[in-house]
Amino acid sequence: MRRRRFFKAIAAAPAATALAAQQAPRAASPGAASQAPAFPGMGASAQLPKLEISVADDAAQPLPRFFNAAQFSTLRRLSEILMPAMDGLPGAIEAGAPEFLDFLIGASPADRQELYKKGLDLLNAQAKKQFGKAFSEVDGTQAAALLAPLREPWTPDPPADPLARFLRAAKQDVRTATLNSREYATASAASGGRRASAVGLYWYPLD
Amino acid sequence: MSPQVYDVLIIGSGASGGMAAYTLTKKGVKCLMLEAGPAVDLQRNRGLKPVYELPYRGFGKPGRHPHIVQANEFNANQWADEAEHPYTHDPDEPYNWVRVRMVGGKSLFWARMSFRLSDYEFKAKDHDGFGENWPISHADLAPYYDRAETIFRVSGRKEGLPQLPDGVFVEDNSPDSEATLRIARAGKPHGITVTKIRRALGNGQLASSFNLLLPEALETGNLTIVPNAVVREITVDRNTGLVNGAHFVDRKTRREFHAKARAVVLGASCLESTRILLNSKIANSSGVLGHYLHDQFYIPNSVVAIVPEARNGKGGRRLVGGAGYIPRFRNLNGKEKNFIRGYAFDFHTGSTPDAKFFPCWGEELQKELRSASGAGFSATAMGEVLPRYENYVTIDKTKVDAWGIPVLKFKCRYTDNEFNMAKDAVETLAEVCKSAGFEVISRTEKMLPPGYSIHELGTCRMGDNPKTSVLNKWNQSHDIKNLFVVDGSSFVTGGSQNPTLTILALSMRASEYLAEQLRKREF
Repeated sequence: MRRRRFFKAIAAAPAATALAAQQAPRAASPGAASQAPAFPGMGASAQLPKLEISVADDAAQPLPRFFNAAQFSTLRRLSEILMPAMDGLPGAIEAGAPEFLDFLIGASPADRQELYKKGLDLLNAQAKKQFGKAFSEVDGTQAAALLAPLREPWTPDPPADPLARFLRAAKQDVRTATLNSREYATASAASGGRRASAVGLYWYPLD
Repeated sequence: MSPQVYDVLIIGSGASGGMAAYTLTKKGVKCLMLEAGPAVDLQRNRGLKPVYELPYRGFGKPGRHPHIVQANEFNANQWADEAEHPYTHDPDEPYNWVRVRMVGGKSLFWARMSFRLSDYEFKAKDHDGFGENWPISHADLAPYYDRAETIFRVSGRKEGLPQLPDGVFVEDNSPDSEATLRIARAGKPHGITVTKIRRALGNGQLASSFNLLLPEALETGNLTIVPNAVVREITVDRNTGLVNGAHFVDRKTRREFHAKARAVVLGASCLESTRILLNSKIANSSGVLGHYLHDQFYIPNSVVAIVPEARNGKGGRRLVGGAGYIPRFRNLNGKEKNFIRGYAFDFHTGSTPDAKFFPCWGEELQKELRSASGAGFSATAMGEVLPRYENYVTIDKTKVDAWGIPVLKFKCRYTDNEFNMAKDAVETLAEVCKSAGFEVISRTEKMLPPGYSIHELGTCRMGDNPKTSVLNKWNQSHDIKNLFVVDGSSFVTGGSQNPTLTILALSMRASEYLAEQLRKREF
């Protein structure tokens, strides 16, 4: 994964404001001590430092650990097919979507884990049966044949067939994991595009 | 230490509790408000973040809010956490109970849709014989609707429809898009009318108890707000039989307190108010407390379509864009269908349909999405759910919340009336869309579990007969005259309209009555 540096104003707005408010002096009487410094030698208007930091996946490789090797290579190939790099924007592989989904599904309830594990196994078995090779090695035409269940119209109830059910979930998840990645946002911004949903109003944990 | 005795103890700080405080304090009534959640600082407690900075890339922590479809990683912390606030239901009868616990309550997050109920709802039994009429009519509530609409600055366009009474609007004179006009024309043979949405503008940023009601109440000097006060039970004076306050526990320290007041107003949200009454073992001589639970079934994306002329970026504001509302049109003149009552839609044009609706992937999917970008139409079907005795909440004696307070058990399911209504809604709108020249790419009549609309109503209904209702026409307990319940639990029927505006009007009306009772020293 490409290493990048970025600035994060960790001490910025919310936390810094709260801290400053707590540490601000309380005037004994209106006006009397209102300009007193928070700490000896430090003016009331002194700025707190903003530290330059990074995040783990900029500094290190994520370690897939939920899926087994065959399942993970199937997921990588499937991700590449579902969401290839297009129009100068990163695809699922460049966005680290398979590695992220390994983490997400590994942290998910058992039924979601089962859906993925079983679905990946079925997809791989189907590839071997139809084409004599692992799904990770199929070409585009072969993959299209194996992904035929995705040609069915969307229904509110998930398909009964476990492979079809898995493929539908994977189509949505791989896409979301890609579009919501830092890689996609960075490339999109660089090309002048902007995903409307890329920024949202976040509620911090309440005390 | 001699604790203060307040005139009124208000439990809850959302739309209903906030309106009670607003109304009572302006009349000089000293109020104490207990809010189960924390006070929030909207500058400090929230902020803009790119989705890629969230640890789960927007998916949210898996399994955190199993019943809240609306939850995502941005808003996950705003919802009451089921681990602390559990409730129970049979496995085959799920209920999505969505709660917010903070000063301002759900009024910080509502969609602001503000519609009046009509006498098709207030006098529903007169129309089809089912259930009960409300003990009030639209005319009784109209002056309070007028004032609530003024405070919340409701935008709208006067239509003169009997099933959707006009209000005091900030006039919305914006032109309808061509797509909206086409829906109106194609819908006319079905009896469909298309209106502007009616939406509380508030101060632009917020239309909440938090900014429109509580600040003015505080300015009177007559309101004390105590956050983090989880009410365990309302207490009764054994000599008079009147309520005299409430026991509550501090959310963080678990320290126990008792607050005293001459009267109690419950506005803790529909089901929390009922839970408090059930746990207090009061106000239930009728035996119907907890019963007649209803809401509105919502089917998002009930019909998804594309406006062909707007494909490939050829849309533009004149052709597509903006929201519209289709008020109830079924069964206005007797029973026309295999169900009673009716449904409404809110719809939006000019969006892009979700990728899941296209049966392809990869570059082909991207091409489809590019073509459909800004050309989409989608509608949420919103149907009236019949208030039935068989749908109810009760106290589950086997489970308590994080503060040791017994929780609610739900027994609630939709019936054929709702299912038939949903089927008709989707079939009709799909037909209208096709007649309008739209390409329908998806339709569904599948409902999410009850509760999903966050419009839970009933369980503490009003009525003239103390044997079949909990409250009288002033939202006052039949059993205990200094106890009032002013939230959605007091509804007799809910129609298909979003309920908050009616809750605001009811709370204002009940609070004015209560202030007069206090002035006359009736209790």
